[in-house]
Amino acid sequence: MDAEQESVLSPPGPGRERQVTRAFVELADTLVDDYDIIDLLDRLVAHSVELLAADAAGIVLADPRGALRVVACSSEDAQLMELLQLHTDQGPCVECVRSSAPVSVPDLSEAAGRWPLFARAVAQRGAFRSVHALPLRLRGAAVGALNLFHHRPGALPAQDLALGQALADVATIGILSEQAIRRGEVVNEQLQTALNSRVIIEQAKGVLAQHAGLSMDAAFDRLRSYARDHNLRLSEVARSLVDDDLDPDMMFPAARARQRRGRP
Amino acid sequence: MVSAAGGPGPDRAAGWYWGARPVDALMAEPGVATRALLALGGGIADDRALAHRICDACAEGLGMDGAAISLLTATASRETLWATDATAERLEDLQFTLNEGACMEAAATGQPVLVGELRDSPHTARWPIFADAVLAQTDVGALFALPLQWGAVNLGVLDLYRRSPGELSAAQHRDLIGAGDTAALMMLEVRTDPGRGDGPDPAVNSRAEIHQATGMVLVQLGISATDALARLRAYAFVQQRLLIDAARDVVAHRLLFTEEMI
Repeated sequence: MDAEQESVLSPPGPGRERQVTRAFVELADTLVDDYDIIDLLDRLVAHSVELLAADAAGIVLADPRGALRVVACSSEDAQLMELLQLHTDQGPCVECVRSSAPVSVPDLSEAAGRWPLFARAVAQRGAFRSVHALPLRLRGAAVGALNLFHHRPGALPAQDLALGQALADVATIGILSEQAIRRGEVVNEQLQTALNSRVIIEQAKGVLAQHAGLSMDAAFDRLRSYARDHNLRLSEVARSLVDDDLDPDMMFPAARARQRRGRP
Repeated sequence: MVSAAGGPGPDRAAGWYWGARPVDALMAEPGVATRALLALGGGIADDRALAHRICDACAEGLGMDGAAISLLTATASRETLWATDATAERLEDLQFTLNEGACMEAAATGQPVLVGELRDSPHTARWPIFADAVLAQTDVGALFALPLQWGAVNLGVLDLYRRSPGELSAAQHRDLIGAGDTAALMMLEVRTDPGRGDGPDPAVNSRAEIHQATGMVLVQLGISATDALARLRAYAFVQQRLLIDAARDVVAHRLLFTEEMI
């Protein structure tokens, strides 16, 4: 590997310290409340992208059959999701979870020897040139991984990797909760709950997108702001929508106002 | 350090989270019951036949004395699909009669209800009448109820019972969650694509577009999520296309479901 490819991605700029502080204060605030896991993980991938100057980020969890499934993603990019959960049993995400150690690939074009199928998939689909996978650690094991994708090749500086790992650790705490971490046997249940919450939210995004003619991203934003404004859990709102217990019209302030005034 | 109720069994002490090589165990092969379910494959005619196979596989794989699967979609349509023996059936009947119990709690919360010590568990305070009735009328010592969830949709509840009390080992717990997830996929398969599938297809759970399209078709036709997925699958089958491609077309507004279709 020559010196140029060893070039470091995104040296931390001034003012990042304040950003980092703000991010962790926000995440800590979330953890204090009766939080929704998907909401927390979604904030977390957004912070990861921002703080680590990544072009995309996603969190995968190991499901009960040992496959990796996406539980949070910084964009609706279907190709990114496929990269995250390739059923080829190889790649940086899989290796990171298996070894419960960070896996850095500063230049994906050099990954063909190590993971031929993954490298081919990246070449076919992605504009990504580097990936860094950080384990969601639990007592030396990993329950999943936080994956950072960059369009440019290069290694993340050690300082950034440490920050990424701290974000990954927040994700683990959020998913498993203190009680579960203390009582190891509940772990599988918590992982399953997180994975199922993701499914509920995707179903609800579809309901809202169809009902109001929104994009999936806009539907998710609406879901999230409604849940926050009403102090409800994101997955509870989503469940009510799918079960037809909540009128999608109620999610739009204008429609609510009309209804209050008794107009159609 | 091991302080969970029921005390540390040998399995628990040596389980993946205390063991020397936890990673291998976490990513390990699915447990006995999960593997038995995966081996069933497809071609099972209806949900009653499937419930029968799931109950047998889970009772045997998890060392239980009996199992049942009930549907609790709405209060009006409670139905036991299968019960392996008279005791399992009695447990279902009691819940429906008394309108409370482990299975009903699991359906309402979408979370497993695991009570290894029925005689001595604070958990039974949530359904005291049912707990008293079970202890008075049966010799059941442990109850485990697992909701079969697909997103917001409850596809049934798997109830397992054991005469001898005792908490699940870590390996059994992992196997139970894996078996529940697999059973939910199979139930979904048989309800939305009867007789055609070749076993549980994990892609149905891992593709966001399939869930999003399900939500959209649900609104387009004014039907339930399970029915919406069934319509998507039927469409993909008739058009000889992949489910994921049909789902992507729905999400991209290239495909709209109407009453006239199919």
